[in-house]
Amino acid sequence: MNAQASISPSPAAGPPKETFVLNLGPQHPATHGVLRVKMTMDGEYLVRAEPVCGYVHRMQEKMGENRTYAQYLPNTSRIDYLSAMNYTHAFVGAVERAARIQVPPRAEYIRVITSELNRISSHLVWWGAFLLDLGGFTPLLYAFDDREKILDLLEGITGSRLTYCYYRFGGVCNDVDEVFLKGARQFVAHMRPRLKMYRQLVTENIILRKRLVGIGPISPELCRQYGATGPVLRGSGVAYDVRKAEPYGAYPEFDFDIPTFPEGDSMARYLVRMEEMAQSLRIIEQGLAKLPAGPVRAEKLPRVLKLPAGDYCYAVEAARGRFLVRIVSDRKEIPYRVKLRTPCLSNLSLFEEASRGLLLPDALALLGSLDLVIPDIDR
Amino acid sequence: MSESGINPNKSGVPTVAGAAEATPPGSPPPAARSTTALPPSPPPAPQARSNPLAHLSIAFQPVDYSLKGYHLDATVAPEQVVWAAEQMDREGFSLDTITGVDWLAEGQMEVVYDYFHATRPLRAVVRTRIPRDHPEIPTISKVFPGANWHERETHDFFGIRFLGHPDLTPFLLPEDADYHPLRKDFTA
Amino acid sequence: METQADSAQLLRDCSPLVKFARLDDLLALGRANSLWPLTFGLACCAIEMMAAGAARFDLARFGAEVFRPSPRQADVMIVAGTVNKKMAPAIKTLYDQMPEPKWVIAMGNCAISGGPFVFPGQYAVVEGVDKLFPVDVFIPGCPPRPEALIEGILKLEEKLTGKRRWPRVKPEGEQMKK
Repeated sequence: MNAQASISPSPAAGPPKETFVLNLGPQHPATHGVLRVKMTMDGEYLVRAEPVCGYVHRMQEKMGENRTYAQYLPNTSRIDYLSAMNYTHAFVGAVERAARIQVPPRAEYIRVITSELNRISSHLVWWGAFLLDLGGFTPLLYAFDDREKILDLLEGITGSRLTYCYYRFGGVCNDVDEVFLKGARQFVAHMRPRLKMYRQLVTENIILRKRLVGIGPISPELCRQYGATGPVLRGSGVAYDVRKAEPYGAYPEFDFDIPTFPEGDSMARYLVRMEEMAQSLRIIEQGLAKLPAGPVRAEKLPRVLKLPAGDYCYAVEAARGRFLVRIVSDRKEIPYRVKLRTPCLSNLSLFEEASRGLLLPDALALLGSLDLVIPDIDR
Repeated sequence: MSESGINPNKSGVPTVAGAAEATPPGSPPPAARSTTALPPSPPPAPQARSNPLAHLSIAFQPVDYSLKGYHLDATVAPEQVVWAAEQMDREGFSLDTITGVDWLAEGQMEVVYDYFHATRPLRAVVRTRIPRDHPEIPTISKVFPGANWHERETHDFFGIRFLGHPDLTPFLLPEDADYHPLRKDFTA
Repeated sequence: METQADSAQLLRDCSPLVKFARLDDLLALGRANSLWPLTFGLACCAIEMMAAGAARFDLARFGAEVFRPSPRQADVMIVAGTVNKKMAPAIKTLYDQMPEPKWVIAMGNCAISGGPFVFPGQYAVVEGVDKLFPVDVFIPGCPPRPEALIEGILKLEEKLTGKRRWPRVKPEGEQMKK
């Protein structure tokens, strides 16, 4: 079955005669969280897919109005728990921007190194789970094994495996030690051959190519209309990465590329993420080599942080795309409004249009290639 | 670590002249890293910041990106949001998000539209205010289909009615929810 | 005709070959060592549950590796993550669909009591999954380590069989005193 045949809604001519509604989720192994998709099916073909969200709505934005700035830090890790460092970075960055807090260079470098390690571990989880959706169980075990090495490193400095609360306003919580630096270098040396093995065994596998090449095409114009970012946008040929478009932290001092593939199909999005892991290894290597000495936290911070009135934004490139925090302050110690612009909401919003006429397994391949974390949508 | 957001990047996107912040173009690269924390940077020099979107009729004001995180800010009337969205769409912007803010003390609700561009280093904000007891605003979902979900969420949280929206049912709240939790006078 | 003494001697002679036990104990042992969990990861704890099933922590050695997507085939529902008021009817339906005997493990602070998402004025989170149906084992943590999940499963096995078959891990004394 080639890709063209899956686009037509029905083999017979004319409108579909009889459709039924199939409920995918909210408990389903392939929805990566609690997503419900109401699918109107014509046989095996998808006529309309309507995602229903809100099954893990945890009031993150309301809690922003009930917590002080420091008390809100643990929440930031739990929005997208796989990419927790990046999300905390956006929140502390917004507060630092508003309060004009200077972050020492060593802390900026540590933030970059830990964020990139987090990006690799997030992409590994995506990769394992995506292959699991497509029917291959083994890559999940390899991915989680590599991920455990990253988690060991991060646990040594932060104390947590998954939902870190490592960044503070003005720097990071504590310094990295020699164990971390040595372990990170060893990890980079270990991971490069592993990525090569994954390419040879999985990426170039004929079954994977048949499942992904030409499946679920998303045009750059569709991405623009829905505000999709991250690997979804870069897999459609648009080289947009917040680390280059709105550079933050110490990223301007690093040399890395933005992998972009023009085809726009699920394979392109897959390849973007695999390449991004290689680029993250490059960044970590440079960070370890150039790590400056010095303090890891700004001195002379006010005991109780109050931001001047107005609204402040900070955007980061999280593992799934562009994450923006907008804080509206009225000079009190709790924010007036915290708005979280999450990448998965925009990425999923184009699913209805992009999945029309696809076969059901192809629609699930498309859903997996969008790399969704549902608490990111529901917040 | 310049906060200007207008650094030339590897893909060769041209910088926007006149909107540079702390490091003016042509300045030497940063000196070798010192071992102590950098002194606080001086406030940005009061340069005349231009508006790269001056050819649009939206009255954008340039703002300090290193403080606010966006470059251009405009306040429009509620009836003008669709017209503003159409112009941003023609310029090739994407809709970042729609934020609602409940200004209880002023009896108004603010709707903030964030826009970003995939190839130009520009962040624009269009904001508007509507009366709190009658919060209605036209939908921009016909211009940006992605606004559909953002508007549903804003309606969920604030009760703002987006006129012309195809399906303003609860998005994150349960289907039968009749409360709007992010209003400042909401009690569970 | 055999006397009672002969029967007793016969039992002793056969004891290397034949073991006697109550059927209940046997069934409990079988159930405990092949708990089939329902894939019910809701949020962050789901990732630690997946890590517990992956290669390093390996739930398979305790018989619990076969995560069933369908509740009809599952024994134990590991509620890993925050339960929402919108999700509560669905999770109750899933619980009802599981055939007896069934058990529930509440993994993580959210499943125990609503976790970090309980604040005055909260409107969306069910404060603990035991408000919906009975829970057998509570595993605290945010998220709990995979070892904690394994300990929870061993506790459930202890609840089923009455005795713990695996050694208890004691924390290293010196490190705890620091």
